[in-house]
Parts: sequence; C-alpha cells; structure tokens
Amino acid sequence: MTSLQRTDILSLIHLRSDGRRPNEIRHMTCHLGALPPTTDCGSALPSSACSGSAMVTMGLTQVLCIVRGPCDVGRRTEELPDRATLEVTMRTAPFAPPGDRRSTNPTSDRRLIEQSHLLQKALSASILLHLYPKSKISVTVMVLADDGGRLEAAINACTLALIDAGIPLKDMVCACSAGRWNAGGSDEIVVDLNRREIQAATGGASGGGGGNNSGGGGGTSDTIYLPVATMPQRGTVVLSQCESRLSGGAEAFGEVLECARAGCEMVMEVMAAAVRERGAGLWKAREGKATVVLDDW
Amino acid sequence: MAISASEAHYIIESCLTDLRIDGRSKCEHRPYTITNRSTHTKTSQAANAPAFILSNGSSRIHLPGSTTDVVCSVKADLVHPSPSKPNQGILELNVDLSLCGGGGTLEASAGGGGAQKRRRQQREEESQITSLLQRLILPHAVNHESLVVWPGKYVWRLSIDVMVLRCDGCVLDASSIAIREALQNTKLPKVQAVMEKGNDDANNGGSASKNDLLVDGDHHKAVSPCGAEDCPLVITVSVLSSPPSATDAVTSTTGSKRYKSIAIIDARTEEEACASTRVCVTVDTNGMVCGVHTLGGGGAGMEEEGEQGGAGGSSMPISMLGEVVTTASMAAKNLYTKLDRDRQVVKDVSSTDNDCGYGYLLKNHF
Repeated sequence: MTSLQRTDILSLIHLRSDGRRPNEIRHMTCHLGALPPTTDCGSALPSSACSGSAMVTMGLTQVLCIVRGPCDVGRRTEELPDRATLEVTMRTAPFAPPGDRRSTNPTSDRRLIEQSHLLQKALSASILLHLYPKSKISVTVMVLADDGGRLEAAINACTLALIDAGIPLKDMVCACSAGRWNAGGSDEIVVDLNRREIQAATGGASGGGGGNNSGGGGGTSDTIYLPVATMPQRGTVVLSQCESRLSGGAEAFGEVLECARAGCEMVMEVMAAAVRERGAGLWKAREGKATVVLDDW
Repeated sequence: MAISASEAHYIIESCLTDLRIDGRSKCEHRPYTITNRSTHTKTSQAANAPAFILSNGSSRIHLPGSTTDVVCSVKADLVHPSPSKPNQGILELNVDLSLCGGGGTLEASAGGGGAQKRRRQQREEESQITSLLQRLILPHAVNHESLVVWPGKYVWRLSIDVMVLRCDGCVLDASSIAIREALQNTKLPKVQAVMEKGNDDANNGGSASKNDLLVDGDHHKAVSPCGAEDCPLVITVSVLSSPPSATDAVTSTTGSKRYKSIAIIDARTEEEACASTRVCVTVDTNGMVCGVHTLGGGGAGMEEEGEQGGAGGSSMPISMLGEVVTTASMAAKNLYTKLDRDRQVVKDVSSTDNDCGYGYLLKNHF
C-alpha cells in the first residue's frame, strides 16, 4: 500500500497526527463545579454528598472527578490520628475507550488500581492533610472518554475538584506527558501524547501500534513515554513514570523531563485561568450580580 | 429518603389540591433540558455537538439547578447475531449508579458495614433499573430488523450505557428520555456486504469466496437506526393517598373508609417518599401502552426505588389503575410534543450552519 497517508504529509511539515506542533498541548477545557452540591429546593439531597467536582477535557480525553469530604472515617482502624486519610478510586466508564466497549471492573483491573495509587501519592504531596486529623477525604475519578493521557487528565481534574471543594492545598498539581520517538530519521520530543502516539511509543515498533493495551515496556529502544506531574509554582516534580528502556542514557531522560515540565506549566495556565474565572463568578454572585448559565460541559 | 410525618402530610395535602410543593400541577413535567444539542443562545458552541465524541450516539439530560443529571451513550459494533434470532440486531443496556453517591439514610447507619452495604444496595438498584428498562423499552426501542447488515452473519450490536450522575426522583423517566435521545442521535456508518469469488477455482476444491464488509467512512452517509423515533418513554406515576381524618369517617355514608388519592407525574424524591404506590407506564409515540409495572411505595429508608422486604408493599384500589394509565398517556403525549419541539427548534437553527461533518464535530476539541 503506497498511498500517501495524512500522517506522512503532516510529518513532512513537522506536525503531529492531529496537527499540533511538538511542543503544543491539546486543547484543554476545565469546568469547575460540574456537579454542584447544592440543590435549589432547599432540602438537603442526601445522595449528592459531594463537596466539589471538576471536569477536565484534554483533547478527546474527558475525565470527571468528585471529591467528598472531609468526613468521618467508616472504620476506626482506618483513621490516622494526626492527618486525614485520602481515598482515591479511579474507574472508567464502559464507553470510554474509543473503539470497542469494555467494562472494566474497578476492583480488579490492575492498571486502574495502579493509577489510583499513583494519584493518591501525587495528591498527598499537596493536600494539607494534617489539618483534618481522623477524617477522610474521598476522591472518585470517572474517565468518560479515553484518548490517551487519562492519568494526567485525572490528576488535573482532581486538583480542580479539590480546589472547588475548598480543601487547602500547598500548590496545584498539574500533569502532562512527554515522549520521544524517532520520527523520520530524527529524534523528536513531543508533549501531551494522545492514544495513537502512546501506542506508537510503547506498543509496537514502526508501522503503527500493536495490540490494544499500551502495556509498559517493550517499545523500541528509542522511544520514551513519560507522564509527569509537577507543582509548577514550587518547581517540584511530584510524579513521573517511565516504563521504557532508555537508550540515550540519563540525559535523554533529562530532556524529556524538561519538556514535560514545560507542558505542565502550560497546563497550569489553563487551570489557573479556570479557577480565576470560577472565583470571579462566585464573587459576582456574592455581590448580587450573578448570571445563571445552563451548565454545559 | 427519610421524611418526617408532618412533612409527608404537608406534601400529600398540597398534592390533593393540585398544587405541589414546587408549584406544578399534577400532570406537569419538570423542564428537562437536553444539552447534547447545545443551546443556540451560546453562539460559540457548535449546534448538534454530541456529549461524547467517541460514541456513536450520546445524550445528556439534566435539569437546570442540577438536581438530575443523566448521561447516556450508545456504541455500536458488528457482531455475529445470536443463533436464535439471526435476522435481528442486538441491543444491550447497562445502568451505572456509582457516581450517584450512597443513600443518605445508609450513611447515617452503622459505619462499619456502611460502604459494603451501600455498594450492594447500589448494585441491586442498578440491576433492578436495568432489568426494568430492558423489559419496558428495549423490545420497542429500535426496529431490530433494520440493524442487520448481512443476514445471518453480521448485525449491529448497540451497547447503551446509562450513567446516572445524580437523580431527584424518577430515575426511570430520566433514563428513558436519555436513551431515546441518544438513540435518535446515533449515527451508524453505512456498511455494505461485498462478496467476491476466489480467482482460482481450479486449485482449491471449493472456491474460497472472499467475504468483505465495506464501511463507508463518510459522515454524511451515516444513518440513525431505523425506528429510533418510536422509542417509548417511561412515565412513573406516583399515587399519593391520605388516610381519612376522623371527621370524614363519621359523616361518610358507607361503612368502609375512603382514602383520598391522587396520581402525580414526575415526582421528586420527597414526593416519592410519601407515595403509597408507583406505577411505571411505558408509552410510545402513537399513544400505545407498551408496558406497565408497579413498584413499591416509598417506604422509609429507600433512596430511589425498590422493594425492601415488606416495607414497600404497594396496594392501590383497582379503579385507580385506569386513572393512572390515562394520566400517564396524557403526560406522555405532552412530553413527546415538548421533546420534538425542542428538537425542531435546534434543527431550524442548525440548518443554516454547515452540515456536520467530522471536522465540525471535533471543532470544539482541538
């Protein structure tokens, strides 16, 4: 098959498969308060016990996060005497993966459990847990559409949901991924990979991704895929996960990490703008000049 | 939902005078908004932008004020049909309540077994809602024969996933509206079956014919599943009845007690909690009743619906049943006209814009 594919044309002018430059993140929208906790009738609806929520869309990946808490811990054995317990659950909707529909059981899918765990570690670095001893903050993440980068979108959504819930944070945790592969003979470092690029970076060798799981490791020796979460204002890296073999040695890792940090700063700008907009809206409402908008995602 | 006796009395009394606690009459629906067709007031939004771009069809039903939020997605793929029905497509339904949060009453109970008990209760509710919707709606939702691509070999399988983010009474109603909207928005690509004979008959004993499916990727040629406009809707009618007061019993001529009952449509959680019975009636666009199912009353301790032991025993006089069904069909007619009117308004607006191709749909995401 020698037909000229769209991706070949794009790569000739150094654009990626969806038309982005290598250092551009995907179009990102944040919506704070996607599920507002209050109702209009005035009576407390017992089912909607969420304190804060946020919906983050990065490209085609859409993630919704709900925060409940701080509240009582169910079991005495689980409570910590000096800080709050952070419980993170991550699950995907059955219609989330593009292509065929799979329903993953959140209690048994190892990838999801691993990502919940990573999420918990990343968030614990930022939440001021010592302010709420013996209580529990539970974070539920639901991936509504998965086009690659669901861990990063989940971290961003959790940060925004925690801000919406009013839980004190040291800094906003922003996440972005970066990768490197051999495109047309030269190494290219790209930011914010979507699903096809992740499959190319971790799955099969040249000629498109292999099977459906982008399981870690096993890529060609030049490719790196690195999701990174940082606290941009402090300049600290909270999470980074690399499952590829690095042929270029430690400096290759350093370059990709730098690129990811730049991506995180761009993500932070978008998120900070969303937080400011929300704050401005709340402030206006307090002054009595609220505009009611049909909440759209 | 736990509700006090005086609150229940207030709700029932106000319903009996045809003025409910939020001002509606007994046959009025709440103003559900379907936001998958983004409103035309926001000029920056693309009209007809689906809620989920990766699914074949999707919809989001919500009430402004966010007391009800139900999302539905329809994904399609080609499978071999079931051997007992080789000429029909397959419809699967799945309901997810996990984001709805546990019932408030359960949280108040023992903390230890709380999480597990809540989850189990949720799963029971989920399976109950799923089975009800499967029985009431799926057989009539779409023209099953039109989902066939290659009779006997390949048919479309539509996987419908309903996710209830929060619900304020009448889960079934909102879910059925969401399913109907999602089915109407579904775009199935045009698939043609192509059969080719193998070239060399001489070499192989029986000629190997190459069977192929041609998928047309053009968005303009994508079709909605036939018969989606006839998808029925579930109307949940709650019967509230108040026991007669002492003075009534004295002045009544007959010896038996008379209960004053009224049937209301689209009950909220508080109204459902005082209902003695709830009846789900499925009505389709022609006004025909497709199914009737009675649920238990809203006993204390139940969040959405569902019988629990003996607490939810439902009983109502037989004469009420006729009134219930007629009320439901009238309300269904109103609901259908309202939904179609909304759809027509958006269609008028969007017809002036460019036709929706893939680039148009993805415009907001890139």
